[in-house]
Amino acid sequence: MRRASSKKASSNSTTSTNSSAMDLFRSATGKAATKELERIDQLFYSYSNESSGMIDPEGIEYLCSDLEVEHTDVRILMLAWKMQAEKQGYFTLEEWRKGLKALHADTIVKLKKALPELENEVRRPSNYVEFYSYAFRYCLTEEKQKSIDIESICELLELVLGSQFPQQVDLFVQYLKTQVDYKVINMDQWMGFYRFCNEISFPDFNNYDEELAWPLILDNFVDWVKSKQS
Amino acid sequence: MKEFQIEAVKPPKLVGVEVAEKSWKILEHQILVICNHNKSNHSLDLEELDRNAYKMAWHKCGEQPYSGLVSILTSQLEKIATSLEDYDGALFLEELVRKWTAHIRAVEVIRHVHMYISSTNKTKCTYVQIIRNVHMYMDGSYVRTERTPVHELGLDLWRDNIVRRFKIQERLKYALPELVQRERRGEVINRGLMSNFVKMLLFFGTPVYRNVFEAPLLNVSHGFYRGESQLLIKSRGCGDYLKETEKRLSEEIERVSNYMDRMTERHLINIVVDYMIQRHVNKLAHMKNSGFIGMLMDDKYEDLARMYALFKRTPNGLGVIRKGIAAHIRNIGTQLTEPERLNDPVDFVQGLLDKRDKYDKIINLAFNNDKMFQDAFNSSFEHFINLNPRDPEFMSLFVDKKLREGLKGASKEEVEIVLDKVMRLFRYLKEKDIFEKHYKQHLLKRLLANTSVSEDAERSLISKLKTECGSQFTSKLQGMFIEVKSSGDTMKQFYEATGHELGDGPTLAARVLKTESWLTQSTTTCNLPSEILTVADRFETYYSHSRKRRRVTWQTNMGSADIIATFGDGQKHELHVSTYQMCVLMLFNSGDGLSYKEIEKATNISTSDLKRCLQSLACIKGKNVLRKEPMSKDIVEDDMFFFNDKFSSEFYKVDVGTMVEFEFEEETRKRVKVDGKHEIEAAIVRIMKAQRALDHRNLVSEVTKKLQSRFSPDRVEIKKRIESLIEREYLKRDKDNSELYRYLK
Repeated sequence: MRRASSKKASSNSTTSTNSSAMDLFRSATGKAATKELERIDQLFYSYSNESSGMIDPEGIEYLCSDLEVEHTDVRILMLAWKMQAEKQGYFTLEEWRKGLKALHADTIVKLKKALPELENEVRRPSNYVEFYSYAFRYCLTEEKQKSIDIESICELLELVLGSQFPQQVDLFVQYLKTQVDYKVINMDQWMGFYRFCNEISFPDFNNYDEELAWPLILDNFVDWVKSKQS
Repeated sequence: MKEFQIEAVKPPKLVGVEVAEKSWKILEHQILVICNHNKSNHSLDLEELDRNAYKMAWHKCGEQPYSGLVSILTSQLEKIATSLEDYDGALFLEELVRKWTAHIRAVEVIRHVHMYISSTNKTKCTYVQIIRNVHMYMDGSYVRTERTPVHELGLDLWRDNIVRRFKIQERLKYALPELVQRERRGEVINRGLMSNFVKMLLFFGTPVYRNVFEAPLLNVSHGFYRGESQLLIKSRGCGDYLKETEKRLSEEIERVSNYMDRMTERHLINIVVDYMIQRHVNKLAHMKNSGFIGMLMDDKYEDLARMYALFKRTPNGLGVIRKGIAAHIRNIGTQLTEPERLNDPVDFVQGLLDKRDKYDKIINLAFNNDKMFQDAFNSSFEHFINLNPRDPEFMSLFVDKKLREGLKGASKEEVEIVLDKVMRLFRYLKEKDIFEKHYKQHLLKRLLANTSVSEDAERSLISKLKTECGSQFTSKLQGMFIEVKSSGDTMKQFYEATGHELGDGPTLAARVLKTESWLTQSTTTCNLPSEILTVADRFETYYSHSRKRRRVTWQTNMGSADIIATFGDGQKHELHVSTYQMCVLMLFNSGDGLSYKEIEKATNISTSDLKRCLQSLACIKGKNVLRKEPMSKDIVEDDMFFFNDKFSSEFYKVDVGTMVEFEFEEETRKRVKVDGKHEIEAAIVRIMKAQRALDHRNLVSEVTKKLQSRFSPDRVEIKKRIESLIEREYLKRDKDNSELYRYLK
């Protein structure tokens, strides 16, 4: 359901701050394209927060319900990736434009239709690594934050790798929740796990060699699994 | 000045051009005379000149004289130029100056004449004015008013015919700098002459000055200082060399102010600085024995200050010294903190303080409190102080010693000074919480054993720590003080309330402390002697009665006691012992010759504690109030203990060593194994910095090789360190090769 869009008086989507950019934008593209951009902007304003000028978590919830997608669905994360959104839970106008233009979606219907294609695109191996690392960065909320707490990591793993490597993810999540050595996971360990899933044979881990450069947490993980199995 | 009478001149008879021509001839002749004559006759000539000039003016013959003047002067100057060519060296210069002076005078005269001739309306007043001007000029006062055309003419002609004349110019270009060089070599030269020359050149404008004098001078100066610096650098130490340089610099500056134009100063300074310093910056700074390291070691403040002032004139000189000194401090500091070298932690910290003082003084006296130097020093100190992971502990030990003994009898100011210095070192520590941990333990010991020299000093230090680290850091420490104090009050109240009931029993001085803030070890108890138990139980009752829901447990491993022992010949001694020692000794009141097992059973003290306790009572010379059989250093289960009747000491009060003290010192000294974290990390960084990129296997083996003389690093620890370095962005994994690390910083 769309929120009452009575907030914007005119349908003219240009705001004072962006008018010059918009003009440039317009003059550079054709008339049809201009129309598309206008609609994209309009769509933005129907979800955005008046005072902040961004789509905030509440707006995203509305968006999700319009798209008929759970807001915890990985496809929203994929959308954020397409937009290269910086702040978790928020979309700026620029990000929105970027994403929707790339998806050629200027209405909710089109956006919804674009989601399966987006998913395919993301799941392509060449893109997936990028998406995977983006997902980690997206969750860093504080300025100098470099790692994410175990609980959030477990959720993120499920979300991002759950469908692709369900068994590894399950085991690893179990391990993370029981161990006491690590309270947070950093980017290096995060990426290491992805490589692990792709390269190491499961469930025997026969080709795993702890003398190699695998992050220590994975050495410990493998040890834990092996001791469980015996 | 000669008196000059104005006569009324009768207007001459009107004559024709011939008269004009005749007058001109005379005029011409007289001008020539003037040009070649000395000053003394000028006034007379002038009179003649005037009369003729007057005549010419009357005849309105303005044009001819002007062009005539030009030709006269030109031919005169030709003659002068040719004659000058015959002179050489200093004589050349002197002659030139002489001719110049004469020329100036002549020009003035001619100007006067010309004015006279070219003006048609001559009044008496104007006449007088002109005469006055000329006389002034003749007397030598070169008052430069606005340049008249004749003036300009005269100067231009001089410049074109003399100065610009090739042969003369060449000689000037050679002779002038030559004089300067002679002065540089120590000769005395005619500075007045030089000054006149420079003035003359400046007369013609800056380009002439630059072209004829400054440029050739700078040229030879280059050569001179190149040679000078090369000569000196081979034969002198750095300090002497810099002294020479300083001397040369001030000489040049003085020289410029004396007889050159100010604009040259900058160039000469640049030359001196460039050749003498800039080109040898590194060589000078790092000169063996006499370079800055030598100066630092020998506290040569003056030399260092000189080096600083001189190097400051170069673009990068100060940077070189600064980096060098920072590296030097890091090196000696690193040597100081090497684990093998550390015999006495307290001496070590004192050494650090002394070093800090030394460099403070140097920055103050020699480096003008330069902030960049201060920063460099600070970062070097910070670097090596954090190399040894035990440094925070050592600092705490140092402070402990000071607060126990070192500051005894010191005035308040002295205390503050020492504590401030300690704080300065403290600020360098990265692992301040380790310091806190040790400091707390040491403070605990001091408070319990009451060995602190001054409560004020303790509080002062705590408040300084608070300022530095925030109240969270020190809240527990402050709490300790309060608890000790309130314990005193509690005891007072206890004795007021129950003292009469206790009678002659031993006096209890309990300190009631909250478990969390004080204890790092677990609670231990033992069997207390009955006398003690009585009063202890009494206290327990009293305390729990007055403070509901509070339980008291006796920390028997931390207490101390003073007991009076009577020995064989009636000798009494007051023994200061630990609680455990007291328990053991009291047993001997009821029997002698006790076995280890019996003692253990009776006291219920833990094995390790008991062994240590018995060791301190029986095996230490001068404090062996017990005798052990068999006589050996170690305590075994079959040992037998006897009261040592023959114990003697020159003092009445004997400190048998409290357990707490013993334990703490043991603890500190026992820990030999160094936590290898820092070493491993440093090794990794060093290797990666050199290799730039290395795969995991090789890195591990390199690190192990590097550290093998110290300890064998744990493979897991190495991985941990690598990951920490990745997180801190020192290293990164290669994008394509997952086994490869790359160095980033």
